[in-house]
Amino acid sequence: MNILVLMLVKDLRRAWRNPVPWLIHIGVPVLITALIGLAFGGSDKTSALGRIKVAVVDEDDSALTGFLRGTLNQRELSDRFEPVFATRNEALVQILENRLSAAIIIPSGFTRDFLSGERSVVLELIKNPAQSFHPAIVEELLGVLTTGLDILARLVRPDYESWQQVFDRPEGPDFSSMASLIQRTGQRLESARPYLYPPLVGLEKVERAEAARTEGKTWNAFAFILPGMAALFLLFQADNAVRDLYRERRFRTLERFQTVREGLLPLVTAKVVFALVMLLLTGMIFFGGGALVFRIHWKQPLAVGILLLTYSFFAAGFMAFMAGWAGKEKRADVLNNIVAMAMGLAGGCMFPREQLPGFLRDHITPWLPTNWLVEAVRATQFGEGDASWAHLALRLSLIGGVLLVSATWLFQRRLRLGERE
Amino acid sequence: MSVLKTERLSKRFGEVQAVREVGFEVAAGEIYGLLGPNGAGKTTTISMVCGLLQPDAGKVRLKGRDFWSDPQASRKLMGVVPQEIALYDDLTGRENLEFWGRLAGLGRAEARDRAGELLETLSLADREKDVIKQYSGGMKRRINLGCALMHRPELLLLDEPTVGIDPQARRNILEFIRKLAAGGTAILYTTHYLEEAEFFCQRIGIIDHGQILAEGTLTDLQRLLGGDQVFVVEADCKTSQPEDWPGFKDRFRVLQKLDQQLVVSAVGGSDPAECLKQLLALPVRVGNVTWKRPSLNDVFLQLTGRELRE
Repeated sequence: MNILVLMLVKDLRRAWRNPVPWLIHIGVPVLITALIGLAFGGSDKTSALGRIKVAVVDEDDSALTGFLRGTLNQRELSDRFEPVFATRNEALVQILENRLSAAIIIPSGFTRDFLSGERSVVLELIKNPAQSFHPAIVEELLGVLTTGLDILARLVRPDYESWQQVFDRPEGPDFSSMASLIQRTGQRLESARPYLYPPLVGLEKVERAEAARTEGKTWNAFAFILPGMAALFLLFQADNAVRDLYRERRFRTLERFQTVREGLLPLVTAKVVFALVMLLLTGMIFFGGGALVFRIHWKQPLAVGILLLTYSFFAAGFMAFMAGWAGKEKRADVLNNIVAMAMGLAGGCMFPREQLPGFLRDHITPWLPTNWLVEAVRATQFGEGDASWAHLALRLSLIGGVLLVSATWLFQRRLRLGERE
Repeated sequence: MSVLKTERLSKRFGEVQAVREVGFEVAAGEIYGLLGPNGAGKTTTISMVCGLLQPDAGKVRLKGRDFWSDPQASRKLMGVVPQEIALYDDLTGRENLEFWGRLAGLGRAEARDRAGELLETLSLADREKDVIKQYSGGMKRRINLGCALMHRPELLLLDEPTVGIDPQARRNILEFIRKLAAGGTAILYTTHYLEEAEFFCQRIGIIDHGQILAEGTLTDLQRLLGGDQVFVVEADCKTSQPEDWPGFKDRFRVLQKLDQQLVVSAVGGSDPAECLKQLLALPVRVGNVTWKRPSLNDVFLQLTGRELRE
């Protein structure tokens, strides 16, 4: 036991003195999580998408278009939209500079054509090609608006001349006439009531109170990405730790050890313990630091902690086994990196499992421990999937244990035989 | 009783017989040099002595007990200084010493005190807090040596400990080892430097192709060549065969024959002046004849037909 502690302290001291390789494996996943998380909305509690900046170019400049412009500034819409009133050229320039998501052009003569119904009216939409979500949302909403305007046009067409007089008065709209026109329109709508009310198809919006209290109105993208990054980079970290056995051989300290102590078991065991400690430290930085930096509220910290512990156990065992199997430092370097990367990709660490090719998704991914960690942590966080974290943790521990014993035997055998680079 | 005794040690790697029936003894306070060119089998021998390799045949006895009867106890008796620096670059000199000392069985306080003592002795006390990668080659060698001495071993195995360091650092290390021997430590020292073996080792074993060819004190080895009479004849020997010269074989033994040089030793206790006269009278054009004391290189030359430096 004393030897294990002695060797662990020595290795931790060495890692502390030369922290760059360790820090890279901690920094890179945090950076990737930050970049991807921010690109997909981060953890904004008020709106996942932010306000959509859209230009309204009113070339008609009538009382009706003024009314339309006004609706965009209403409270409900202003939460989602940030309208900018500009000329066509100004709007185009701002789109080119990526300062607007889209521009809605209300063409000249819009009101007259709309009310007369003699010609179909067209609202023009210019979308910013450099953006994806926001212009699409504007397009969808504009579709709803044109449908509404179409209904409205059919309702007011019999009173076209009267409406035109109301809007064409030089001193401004005649509100008393407008009131009687609205009343008449209302009566028409009333006659259509049996067809419209009650609606035959309804929509009920349910918000989960618990989720709203802990996560805000939206989910936290970082909490979705971080487990995947952690699963992948813990493998890299494990690889770095266990390959230290080869460095011991290269530095000849392994030989010196053999001149001082009988047997290699303490050395190999100490290195595996070192790997485990480094992985737990790294995991704590990932998940603990993630909570602080990305404001992730882990809903089941105990479950996440146990999963992290068992996954670290697995990762140390797996990478030690791979390194022992490779037999040589350079070979292990290449092999372990490729295998870790493949396990990360196929295990859904970088892309959601649903995005993976069918064969991979259905036949490979479910068998990968990287996927077990990712799915289990996401399940505890978002309630997705049917993964039982306790069951997966147990499975990770068992496999890790078997791999560690095998790796220790392999390493001992190789080192005893004196195999060199 | 000798501290170390090897009996007919043999080791084969595939087709290569690295060591063949090597046997020697090292007594307490003695410096025994194992001299041979690179690839002669020195490191393999030392690896078998310290338990890094198991011999295919033969025995290693430490104070009369077979090494493998209790490997851990045997290891405690010896300190090993490997040929290459075997230290942790990221640890300081003191941390390295304390780590290896504790691994060898010292307690925390004991290791701390012993490390301080060795740092003083090795003149590294002022650099004890620097990490090894900031040390010069000579300083690394000294710490490398110190790590093997932490547990005060009765037998010290040194595998070419002065390779690649400057003459001053080499002198310091050799002086330190000499003091250790004076204090009663048995020392097995492998080297391919003739001068080190000649002036530093009390007994020398000459090893080549895995076999000990000769063993003894420097004087014993010189006697193999006919006492202290070695002659270097500068002459055109390109086309001549010395064995064909009348009476030559009875009086001289050829150690080396080059186109323009002949190295010979006198057979029996001939008078050097008489030998010089006979060599000058050889049936070739002789430019010069030099009489010198035989060196280890001459002995090696006699035993193997080639120079140690080749």
